[in-house]
Amino acid sequence: MSATTSSLEPLFTILSYSYATLETNFYKLPGSSVVARYVKSSHQNDPGRTLLEVFLIIFAIRTLLQSRTRADNSGKHFISFDEKEIDELVDEWTPEPLAAELSPKEQAELASIPVIVGPTGPKPKLSNGKTVLNLASYNFTGLAGNEDIKQSGVETLRKYGLGSCGPPGFYGNQDVHIQLEKDIADFLGTESAILYSQAFSTISSVIPAFCKRGDLIVADRGVNFSIQKGLQISRCTVRWYDHNDLNSLEQVLEAIEKERQKKRSPLTRRFIVTEGIFDHDGAMSDLPKLLKFKYRLILDESISFGSVGRTGRGLTELYNVPADQVDMLVGSVANGLASAGGFCAGTNIVVNHQRINGTSFVFSAAMPALLTVAASEGISILRNTPSILSTLQENIRAVRVILDRVDCISIPSHPASATIHLHVKLPSPMHLSPRVPPPSPSLSSSSSGKPSNPLSPTPREAPQFDAELEEKLLQDVVEEALAQGVLITRAKRLRGQELNDIRPSIRLAISAALNKKDCEKAANVVKAAFVKIVGRQRR
Amino acid sequence: MAINPASPTPSMFRKKPSSAMSTAASYLSAVSKADARARGLNGGSTTSTPALSLSSSVTSSSEDTVLHEDIGDSADGLYYPSVPPTSEQVFTTVHTEFGHCANESYRYTSRHTPGEPVKGVVEQDPPYYILITTYVSYLLVICIGHLRDFIDFDSFYTRRLKSRIDDCFSHPVTGVPGRTILLLDRYSTDHNVTFQPTGTRTRGLNISSYNYLGFAQGDGPCADAVEESVARYGVSACSTRREVGTLDLHLQAEALVARFMGMESALISSMGFATNSTIIPALVSKGCLVISDEFNHASIRYGVRLSGANVRMFKHNNMQALESLLREVISQGQPKTHRPWKKILIIVEGLYSMEGTLVNLPALLELKKKYKFYLFVDEAHSVGAMGPHGRGVADYFDVNPRSIDILMGTFTKSFGAAGGYIAGNKALIERLRISSHYSAYTEAMAPPVLTQVMASMASIMGVTIIPETKNSSSLSLLHSSNAIPVPVTNLEATAYPGTAPSTALPNWVSLPPSLCDGSDGRMRLRRLAFNSRYLNRALRKLGFITYGHDDSPVVPLLVFHPGKMAVFSRMMRTRAIPIVIVVVAYPATPLVTSRVRFCLSASHTKEDIDLVLKACDEIGELLDLKQAVGERWPLEEITKRAVELVSMKECP
Repeated sequence: MSATTSSLEPLFTILSYSYATLETNFYKLPGSSVVARYVKSSHQNDPGRTLLEVFLIIFAIRTLLQSRTRADNSGKHFISFDEKEIDELVDEWTPEPLAAELSPKEQAELASIPVIVGPTGPKPKLSNGKTVLNLASYNFTGLAGNEDIKQSGVETLRKYGLGSCGPPGFYGNQDVHIQLEKDIADFLGTESAILYSQAFSTISSVIPAFCKRGDLIVADRGVNFSIQKGLQISRCTVRWYDHNDLNSLEQVLEAIEKERQKKRSPLTRRFIVTEGIFDHDGAMSDLPKLLKFKYRLILDESISFGSVGRTGRGLTELYNVPADQVDMLVGSVANGLASAGGFCAGTNIVVNHQRINGTSFVFSAAMPALLTVAASEGISILRNTPSILSTLQENIRAVRVILDRVDCISIPSHPASATIHLHVKLPSPMHLSPRVPPPSPSLSSSSSGKPSNPLSPTPREAPQFDAELEEKLLQDVVEEALAQGVLITRAKRLRGQELNDIRPSIRLAISAALNKKDCEKAANVVKAAFVKIVGRQRR
Repeated sequence: MAINPASPTPSMFRKKPSSAMSTAASYLSAVSKADARARGLNGGSTTSTPALSLSSSVTSSSEDTVLHEDIGDSADGLYYPSVPPTSEQVFTTVHTEFGHCANESYRYTSRHTPGEPVKGVVEQDPPYYILITTYVSYLLVICIGHLRDFIDFDSFYTRRLKSRIDDCFSHPVTGVPGRTILLLDRYSTDHNVTFQPTGTRTRGLNISSYNYLGFAQGDGPCADAVEESVARYGVSACSTRREVGTLDLHLQAEALVARFMGMESALISSMGFATNSTIIPALVSKGCLVISDEFNHASIRYGVRLSGANVRMFKHNNMQALESLLREVISQGQPKTHRPWKKILIIVEGLYSMEGTLVNLPALLELKKKYKFYLFVDEAHSVGAMGPHGRGVADYFDVNPRSIDILMGTFTKSFGAAGGYIAGNKALIERLRISSHYSAYTEAMAPPVLTQVMASMASIMGVTIIPETKNSSSLSLLHSSNAIPVPVTNLEATAYPGTAPSTALPNWVSLPPSLCDGSDGRMRLRRLAFNSRYLNRALRKLGFITYGHDDSPVVPLLVFHPGKMAVFSRMMRTRAIPIVIVVVAYPATPLVTSRVRFCLSASHTKEDIDLVLKACDEIGELLDLKQAVGERWPLEEITKRAVELVSMKECP
């Protein structure tokens, strides 16, 4: 026993010596006594804490040393292979082809796209040499081909060149862009507006600029594809209400409030997202009622701006509501002013926030000056010629009078909407969907009384229809009308990628550039084509 | 398309015939005017300049290439060439838009030496005191900012930190963003919260716009073609491509783009950002893997996020890291289930706009053979700007473009237009026309933009004149709607990288001979290549730390400190001859590597670059930016030995 102790003696001496030198050296460091005192006193007060702190230090070091890549080798599901096995696996792996071959139907679809030779307008010429009446292009106010716009476009070209050659942040912000933003804001009566260079990329960028994970959005089930993508990118919580049904909206909002009170969760940023006139079916929102709720409103007026209201200011003018009550008013310069791009109007705060956070604003080149000036010119034409909008509304009425009472057509669109969607109406025994009530804008569709689940974008009672068959019939109608000299188009949707299956429709876009007689003529051709194609099916 | 004959038939849109004779004659008068002015300035006597009104821009003469709309009577080289041109030199461009540079030795060809390995760019680190003080300066402004409020960093950053240097961003401008640019002066009384215009304007040398080949011009054949197209087509196509927005111009432009890129087929989208964000979701979906370079553009990240595919990143341009990642992901398969991936798509950029680095394409294609992934190259900045024929990185590295699956690019930069394209094989493009968001929901590209794309592209390619028979008019070609109007009469013309056949352009586009023989395009490409290499190497010789490839027209100069960045920008802008540059910092770059970014253009002359170098030299000295190690040359030596510096194989 004593032998072992004596043999260990030199070791102890070395240990105690080195400890002593360490201690003296430690106390030589400036400020070390403070640390030592702190450690001592904290250990005295609470020995458990020392343990915890040591543990924390070790943990911090480990975290620092750990590789920062996600899903690295230490993952639970990682299988380790040696190099030879990996080589074999690499050799074995065969990827799917990059692009799936087109089916014959898809090829036919591509081949059926009409090609306009020369300018588009009320009476364009097609590649088969035929001149047709155009009930398909977004040229509501007839600004396409306007000589004044062309003239100012050329002047701008000579002064600015074509491209802006840079994003707005880096010297792409030309005075013409500032002018158009000002023109739009003045036209609508908002504080400010911001210009995006493509209409589709506008709202899908506006939504994620404001709504982040954890925020709450209440959206219509029938919103357009661009909004759907914006909601997807924003990653916020989405609750859905039935398409254009404000009762349903109210129920959803009540349920949200109840849930919040139950969970005692704090108030988050809350938005309602919907459209003025819906891209999918032409139904119109009841704006004054939408403004009642204590939610911020993001309103997409891509169809309604430049097509309704006394001078084309859109829904706010139609309902006589000040535009500054809509928090974010999004519109399309491409559709409404026959130019290109989109805008978001709102307060200075809303607009300036987007100048830094609107992804497709910040990371995209500014619009060509020529197109910007064309839009400014368009606004001044609309301001000074209210007759354009009354002509447009007359044309819409003329078309609706003819098409409203056709047996085989059902129209979900609002009577004032410049886009008119035509659905196929088939009688009951022939078809899967007996008497589907058209989603009428004024009626609540909760016929069974049981509301849909707000968590799911699909309604409880999804309308039943045979999309394949209807698409085919509608395409036949389009071709029949084209043969008779009227250009119309099916509303093209990416079936399967949209949140809900959308009922196939033919989308007419009425223009003020056509006279009433031409409109009636065209509508009669469409009617005849429907009767011929769909009527045959009904028999 | 028509080639301008010696005696052109006057069309209603053409203000004056522009045959070579009349141009030369008119130029002489302009030269004599400029000469007189230069002499007047030297002699100190005041000569009154003819005051041309601003509104005369429509009739602004194409013969007056020196005097343009504004009155500028300073001898600063912005309005008039500092070296007055001689009578043999004929310039058809406006000097403020596209500089006059007659010296043929100031040219270079952008090309990778075949067989040579692609070197990674050595990124020099600054001395530690620079790094430490950079962090300290951020710390300082953060502390001051925190005294004012306390919230999350991103919003905090934009409100409290970025606002300090907001005068360097979103500066309003007017006029052509060409060789020079007109700034609308502004001031702020409330610490950059709002800005008030002063009403005055300042013309500065523009080293900031993406105008690589100098096609941002209000004059010249491209603008003439656009004017004609506005008269014929108006300004909009008023629909989506799959509904009724397809014009004959779209088909022609797409065929030309496919030929330019050397691919089977191409499609055109109306916005560059949206080209990525609306098309990537149609390429990959759940069960696919996207491997993305860490410095890829926001539009790529946006598109990938929408697609639902898994994403992995690899270290910027690091092929070893990429290979080991590939080995890992292929062997492991999908997370948890270990099922094999449906597809693996690697997305890289040709030229990185913040780094100036080029993708290592040869190495990537080697990997592609082994690992069977699909390759997507975003050539937003490299198309037009790189390669001896301006066809992008594939041209630069002399590889077959068809070995790349998807070539994407934009028209905003080199072509002076807007929008983007995707080029690939026919099956892919047709699939995208059917399944991508772009065709069904986004507006079709506007006719004037299409015309600018076609005219500028044709002038880069050169045009082979194919006598027009009745059969080959553009109209008849469109009868079969998906046939690409490629006449096979001239085999040479169809070869890549060859010329464009005249039948590929609309018959109303009239181009002058200099565009048809490709000499204009070649001049632009060679001038850009010279300018890029010159500035890159000269800055390094001055002792600055720059990133990127020698041949890159994007030149980032590292300044590190956020404060220095703002000062650099202001000092450049307020010089006697103002120079307009872009400064970039977090979040577009890592926190410590704030930088100044120069974007060169074919429209810059050698004297312009000298001017930039002189400014950088002075400001760099003042701000202590010259931190690079290596051999240094004094400024005079650099400007004198510019040609030698550019043609050196290696720049030590």
